Amino acid sequence: MNRPGDAPINVEKNPARSIEIVNRGLARRYAAEKRFRFYGAAAVGISLLFLSLLFISIIGKGYTAFQQTFIELEVYFDPDMLDETDLNTANYPGLVRQSLQKMFPDVTGRDDRRDLYALVSTGAAFKLRRLALDSPEIIGQTRSVWVPADDDVDMLVKGHYDRNRSEDERRINDRQLAWIDSLEENGKIKKRFNTAFFTSGDSREPELAGIRGAAVGSFYTLAITLLLSFPIGVAAAVYLEEFAPKNRWTDLIEVNINNLAAVPSIVFGLLGLAVFINFFGFPRSVPLVGGLVLTLMTLPTIIIAGRASLKSVPPSIREAALGIGASKMQMVYHHVLPLAMPGILTGTIIGMAQALGETAPLLMIGMVAFIVDIPGGFTDPSTVLPVQIFLWADSPERAFTERTSAAIMVLLAFLIFMNAAAVMLRKKFERRW
Amino acid sequence: MFKKTAIVILTLFTAVNLCSLFAQSSRDNINIVGSSTVYPFATVVAEQFGKTTSFKTPKIESTGSGGGFKLFCAGVGVEHPDITNASRAIKSSEIETCAKNGVKEIVEVKIGYDGIVLANSKKTSPMRLSAKDVFTALAKEVPDASGKLVPNPNKTWRDVNPALPNIKIEVLGPPPTSGTRDAFVELAMESGARKYQILSDLRSKDEKAFTAVAHTIREDGAYIEAGENDNLIVQKLDANANALGIFGFSFLDQNTDKIQGSFVDGVQPTFDAIASGKYPVSRPLFFYVKKAHVNVIPGMKEYLKEFSSEKAWGAEGYLSEKGLIPMPDQERKTFADNVKNLKTISR
Amino acid sequence: MAPSTLFLSILVLAVAAYVIGRKRSYSVVGGARKLRELHSRPTYYGMLTALGCGIPALLILGIWQAFEETVITRLITAGLPENIRTLPESRLNLIINDVKNLVSGNIVSKEVDPAMQAAADHYTRLQSISHASMAVVCLVLGIMAIAIIRKIITPKLRARNAVETVTKIILVACSSIAIFTTLGIVLSVLFEAIRFFKAVAVTEFLFGLQWSPQMAIRADQVGSSGAFGAVPVFAGTLMISAIAMTVAVPVGLMSAIYLSEYATSKVRAAAKPLMEILAGIPTVVYGFFAALTVAPVIRDSGGLMGLDVSSESALAAGVVMGIMIIPFVSSLSDDVINAVPQVLRDGAYGLGATRSETIRNVVIPAALPGIVGSILLAVSRAIGETMIVVMAAGLAANLTANPLQTVTTVTVQIVTLLVGDQEFDSPKTLAAFALGLVLFVATLFLNIIALHVVRKYREQYE
Repeated sequence: MNRPGDAPINVEKNPARSIEIVNRGLARRYAAEKRFRFYGAAAVGISLLFLSLLFISIIGKGYTAFQQTFIELEVYFDPDMLDETDLNTANYPGLVRQSLQKMFPDVTGRDDRRDLYALVSTGAAFKLRRLALDSPEIIGQTRSVWVPADDDVDMLVKGHYDRNRSEDERRINDRQLAWIDSLEENGKIKKRFNTAFFTSGDSREPELAGIRGAAVGSFYTLAITLLLSFPIGVAAAVYLEEFAPKNRWTDLIEVNINNLAAVPSIVFGLLGLAVFINFFGFPRSVPLVGGLVLTLMTLPTIIIAGRASLKSVPPSIREAALGIGASKMQMVYHHVLPLAMPGILTGTIIGMAQALGETAPLLMIGMVAFIVDIPGGFTDPSTVLPVQIFLWADSPERAFTERTSAAIMVLLAFLIFMNAAAVMLRKKFERRW
Repeated sequence: MFKKTAIVILTLFTAVNLCSLFAQSSRDNINIVGSSTVYPFATVVAEQFGKTTSFKTPKIESTGSGGGFKLFCAGVGVEHPDITNASRAIKSSEIETCAKNGVKEIVEVKIGYDGIVLANSKKTSPMRLSAKDVFTALAKEVPDASGKLVPNPNKTWRDVNPALPNIKIEVLGPPPTSGTRDAFVELAMESGARKYQILSDLRSKDEKAFTAVAHTIREDGAYIEAGENDNLIVQKLDANANALGIFGFSFLDQNTDKIQGSFVDGVQPTFDAIASGKYPVSRPLFFYVKKAHVNVIPGMKEYLKEFSSEKAWGAEGYLSEKGLIPMPDQERKTFADNVKNLKTISR
Repeated sequence: MAPSTLFLSILVLAVAAYVIGRKRSYSVVGGARKLRELHSRPTYYGMLTALGCGIPALLILGIWQAFEETVITRLITAGLPENIRTLPESRLNLIINDVKNLVSGNIVSKEVDPAMQAAADHYTRLQSISHASMAVVCLVLGIMAIAIIRKIITPKLRARNAVETVTKIILVACSSIAIFTTLGIVLSVLFEAIRFFKAVAVTEFLFGLQWSPQMAIRADQVGSSGAFGAVPVFAGTLMISAIAMTVAVPVGLMSAIYLSEYATSKVRAAAKPLMEILAGIPTVVYGFFAALTVAPVIRDSGGLMGLDVSSESALAAGVVMGIMIIPFVSSLSDDVINAVPQVLRDGAYGLGATRSETIRNVVIPAALPGIVGSILLAVSRAIGETMIVVMAAGLAANLTANPLQTVTTVTVQIVTLLVGDQEFDSPKTLAAFALGLVLFVATLFLNIIALHVVRKYREQYE
């Protein structure tokens, strides 16, 4: 590298030579150099250490959510209970109970039966309903159906509940434990891949709850945020940095934008409520409004990052472009902007990452909500991933703990996927001169 | 160039989506807002309703009771919610706001009770407290031996009551904005304060001054305002055996392997004890219905019917499995009738 | 024609306009060879035509869409039976909703009566008429615009200037959004804040040393008093942000320097995006991490040293928040450091400086505005964070300088006050707006100071 020149041969005679002085300090300077470099590496190391720590804790808690316990039932689709004219509202829970009763005929007492029925999820009835609706010819036949187990059973099978504790300290009592064991012996209870987690919307039953509604909502919301905030942010940065006259007015705008970045995100929610919902009359809880609010929130980040990187493009580039007759607009769009792109993209990545993880502003515009149906467009009520995580983290049911972590993994996958695209673009534009 | 064009096209596409919005303001689902305490119960009913009928599942926002009433009272019409959940009864000022905005007919429905428990980690023995202990430990000012009000000097539970263990008072509980805290203060602290003769006298003389003393919780760090994430409180209790937590019964119910309810006046918070009224600290939960919407928003009547059915809020209904304490039979019947006849609140 | 189809047709028309305009520019000068006689490059003529065709048509589309609904609803209402028409507006709007549900095939609230069905049919009819006429108007307008612009294209036409003017207008519009946002924010908190200040004196709020919003939630309670002195809340914000910055700035800045100056390109390509993930991990995760992992560690190690540490300490929240905002400093600074011209470094090396000396004395000063910008962004994020603080530092507002105590921040208070169970118009809720407003003003001042500091120390090269 560019080290100072080699030590000269004859130094003692002329101690005043500057090379002397340089050499004297050399060891110290090299040590400082090494230290500095070490600090840098350590800083990167620390950040990555924390990242892996967080990842390990998330994955460690959440990986079990990708499996779900199922119980096999022999269901007789009793024509007496299923009126063909009204399959929609027939007594499906009754069918489930009937088949459970058949499996354990010796259970008679009222409390005992209640405990027995509690083994399978309420989702079992929904599943039978779907089967009957899809193929009505099933009525009168006996089918073996794998239905989801109740969340407490699921927790027990996965080992989250300690079966050695005394009965009043578990949510599964001794009788239920015996039934589960006998089911297990007969191979009627099994862990399977939890497809419902990826295909269904929110539910208050952990075993039926899925992330799809929130993921789709996040997608729509962020699509709007990205589509609006990136072009607007770049345009604003370009105008302020390249075209706007430098005076008090633009100083004001600069301070103003920096200040907007410090506004707590929930205040953007208040703004969204006042402007988009109350003034423009948009409906509540829709990704469109969510996207608009998040756009306003992300814009300062993108503008600030954009201006910083536009500022760092050397003036020589501009002068060269202008010198060969480009107009100012051409100079900016053909030369300066591509060179500033890496920084702008970094700002976008960070801004979008923040938008992806934000819940507070969405509270005010009604996106912190229980929404079961999967949104089909920009104006369907929906929620987003971080809100789903927040709501699940706040649910009393224990099985939601692992699902919260699993949802976080989905969000991170979303984030990594989003970032990967931007990072690739950024690499393409990056250069040093 | 292609990239730029793509961006421009996509942006414009969004813009048009923006325009087309104006054309789709019809609504075919029920909108519900309100308290985060009622949220876990209302959502169960909504889900059941959505999955067993042909109507869409209602949308339930968790906004807090105050925010819920604000939205609910904003007016009649599709853009306003149909129902608001609340962990406290509606205030007369809120009824006035509602009436001013055209929401003149409101149906009040009580859905059941929520037990508020004091709990600590299973790693130690359960606390046996009296209401007086709770007051003495948590109030900002307590009467000293001479009967004068002094800033709460108690540092450990033994200071409060010699029968209690010698550990630091550390109670994790909800912030002053929470209805849970409000109910706790009113039910546990106030009855504890009355046990002091001097405060009891004060009450008969100057009720205002009494409540000011009884309802103010200390702020010197012994009572930790912990936000409303009750799961976090449970986990913190699990990590810190000396701490006590205040939260809703359903969280105790789900975590019986980790935490245990403290005795209050000799009663431990169990489902039966709260339901029978033996356990003193529980509060009612409500929802409010806009009568004007009942016949025009699809599914309203059916949703109300589902909520007020025995299989939902009954003694063995699915809500009780989620930790809601059912009302006594007679009360349940009254409210079911109210729902059926849409009996409105009269001022 | 449905609005979305129409929209796509307009876009197609605009592309066609581009091609036509471009072709026309070639033909007016007589072939590709004589292109130099044109004032602008042919692309600009194409763009001019496309803009002239697309913008008015899209504008009409937007306006039409905005008013279509209202007009049709008016017409429908006029056709409804007398007894429904005379209902108050809010009730009427519910009935119209039913009609619309009928039109879009949704479930309606009750049996369909003939009047409703008639209204629904009427609605469908009107809508199709409206859509058809909208399509005709927009497309005719677009085609006319193409024809006119095609006529006026001459070699002398200053197409580039026109296009650039339009672009510049768009740029100005974009940058003014920031101003409107500010205006919107101030307006949306101001009125409620004023209502708050009617109940609580401004001076008490600004200079009061005690924050304890223990006011009665219900009307029949007489209730305890509330104290609304915002100083402890702001002090807590300052402390937590300061702790976060002492973690984030050194780590972030050193990471940025290492990645851009020392690391091989492979390491940099891998480490930078990885670090950026830190900014995107949901704050709930950080909250749990801070409350259940970091806070107990701090409490226990503090206990070993004989310190009295609260289980909810500002330190735990601050440190974890610092980790979260590392990428704000590291990634953005890395980009600006990377953009410092190599010539500067080579110059410093030529003078005999070591790498670290070059970085400290040449590269960092050159990149300073960008670095300060990134730090400001990080501070902003720290101020705005709620979840970590709620979970790890609690909500009690203590006026203390001891980071081992419980504190709270402005944002946390705003969120908890807004989502509380109390009446929305009580001073308790309104305090949230006042806090928001004061925070806004406070950060504004900090930013003004920052701007002047940067101006003063900034070094401009080349």
